[in-house]
Amino acid sequence: MQQKDSWLLPDGIEEILPEEAKHLENLRRELLELFACWGYGLVIPPFIDFLDSLLTGSGHDLDLQTFKLTDQISGEMLGVRADMTPQVARIDAHNLKYEWPTRLCYVGTILHTRGDPLEKTRSPMQIGAELYGHAGKESDVEVIRLMLEMLARTGLQNIHLDLGHVGIYRALARQAGLTDLQESELFDVLQRKARPELQELMDSYSIDNDLKVMLLKLPELNGGKDILDKARIVLLKANDAVKNALADLEAIAQKLATHFPFLPVSFDLAELRGYHYHTGMVFAAFIPSVGREIARGGRYDNIGAVFGRARPATGFSADLKLLSSLSKQSCPVGQRELIFAPYSDDFALSEIIRDLRARQRAVVQQLPGQTGSAKELGCTSILEQDNKNWVVRPLV
Amino acid sequence: MLTIAVSKGRIYEEALPLLAEAGIVPVDDPKTCRKLILATTREDVQLVIIRATDVPTFVEYGAADLGIAGKDVLIEHGAESLYEPLDLNIACCRLMTAYHKDAPEHRGRIRVATKYVKIAKSYFASKGIQADIIKLYGSMELAPLVGLADCIVDLVDTGNTLKANDLEPRELIMNISSRLVVNKAAMKMKHAAISELLIQFEKTLANR
Repeated sequence: MQQKDSWLLPDGIEEILPEEAKHLENLRRELLELFACWGYGLVIPPFIDFLDSLLTGSGHDLDLQTFKLTDQISGEMLGVRADMTPQVARIDAHNLKYEWPTRLCYVGTILHTRGDPLEKTRSPMQIGAELYGHAGKESDVEVIRLMLEMLARTGLQNIHLDLGHVGIYRALARQAGLTDLQESELFDVLQRKARPELQELMDSYSIDNDLKVMLLKLPELNGGKDILDKARIVLLKANDAVKNALADLEAIAQKLATHFPFLPVSFDLAELRGYHYHTGMVFAAFIPSVGREIARGGRYDNIGAVFGRARPATGFSADLKLLSSLSKQSCPVGQRELIFAPYSDDFALSEIIRDLRARQRAVVQQLPGQTGSAKELGCTSILEQDNKNWVVRPLV
Repeated sequence: MLTIAVSKGRIYEEALPLLAEAGIVPVDDPKTCRKLILATTREDVQLVIIRATDVPTFVEYGAADLGIAGKDVLIEHGAESLYEPLDLNIACCRLMTAYHKDAPEHRGRIRVATKYVKIAKSYFASKGIQADIIKLYGSMELAPLVGLADCIVDLVDTGNTLKANDLEPRELIMNISSRLVVNKAAMKMKHAAISELLIQFEKTLANR
């Protein structure tokens, strides 16, 4: 790299400047405080970890997304976390070992080898909350409610919630006796709702005709609440797993409606985001100005098994950097007070400054011979001597 | 408001009758008008006119809710983050390899000139052939003539350009037609408007 380009950052790696950093940090504190008020304990997993444990229960995608290096001490492969959820699951399964429901939250930088094609960043700041040890829909409702509270605290409006259930496709694939290859081909096509290609695939598979019809209809099963009724008719010949999944979705939507009566909710039964990882209900939040989801989550039972204990699990996560920039657009923060103190050897001034700072008031002290006025330094008020007493006066 | 991204040229011309059936007729003609956003006779629908290869990008980001793009462009772009619910069966052509008409059957490593880098690479890999891809932006037919490549991978419609340059199409890689693509978030948040449009298109296509 040429010397003149030494300021350049790698693709998708960004630095956050004071104004944005202040906003982000305020939001981070507020959201962690919110999680704490819901009884979620903060955990801080390591930035790098053994690769095997980072990739637990996840698909090929996360493997590709993970930066890898060799540990010179053990000779093992290490990875820089590309997702914190498996680490938090390990803490629940291996370290805490509680028999009762465990609520954990986290925030931290993750790294992706390839930026999300839409987000461009390769270093999102993942924030999320996970609830372990309860298999019912009540815990799903709790984490969805917490996610919606998080978005409300962020100052975002017109939130739209999308609900799905990966168990529906999984059960249909199993009922049809699809091979692994077929299941992943079909997964790719369903994710794009590519109906023409789905038809071609179905024509080439030799599976039960009823199942063909149901799988063909899957990409059309999205929309408002009436979709669940339609699904019950379309998926009539599916097994009980599918019927239970539909009943769960309906119950979750009903419970949410009592808490958020005006929340627009849609259903998408072919939504397979995180299919390799999730085991049940999945959800995502959208807002009109962003062409993709801004927070997502779902149920991923038994991920802890590899760490010694299978536990039901449900949770959500979002990129704090994205939330921060969205909230900055919707509610810019007012300017904080900053007091300018002149340079002086007067001990009384030092005492005053110490006292102000102890009361959480920000003071910046001039250095001898420096350029830049109080105004240029971004100060809002100034310490001035008045009859040997130092007083704070607003800067005009 | 629904925004539909369409590329200029053949796709635009062949999409017009389909759009018209759904009551969407652009107020201006992009051939004579320099506007990039075209109002239509439907107040709630506008068109944006962009390059074919940019359609998936616009729709992915939600800059347009829907788009009409060739399957070739979608595969080359990698369209996991889009929905592509309908084959519009317009702007149909074939993606093929083409060689100099006198070229013997190729053996071993091959040099391929194309703008479809991903597709060409995976096609030759599936045939068990190691291919060196040379990315070009146009006039592919020239490459075998001047010794730049052993063959080309390109869209073939009538085959006249190939013939005029002493080339002949050989293997069919895939049949191409234009697809309707939808932004994932729009599909959820503007569900009523979009699904109504989908049903309308499907009806028109079924009657063809």
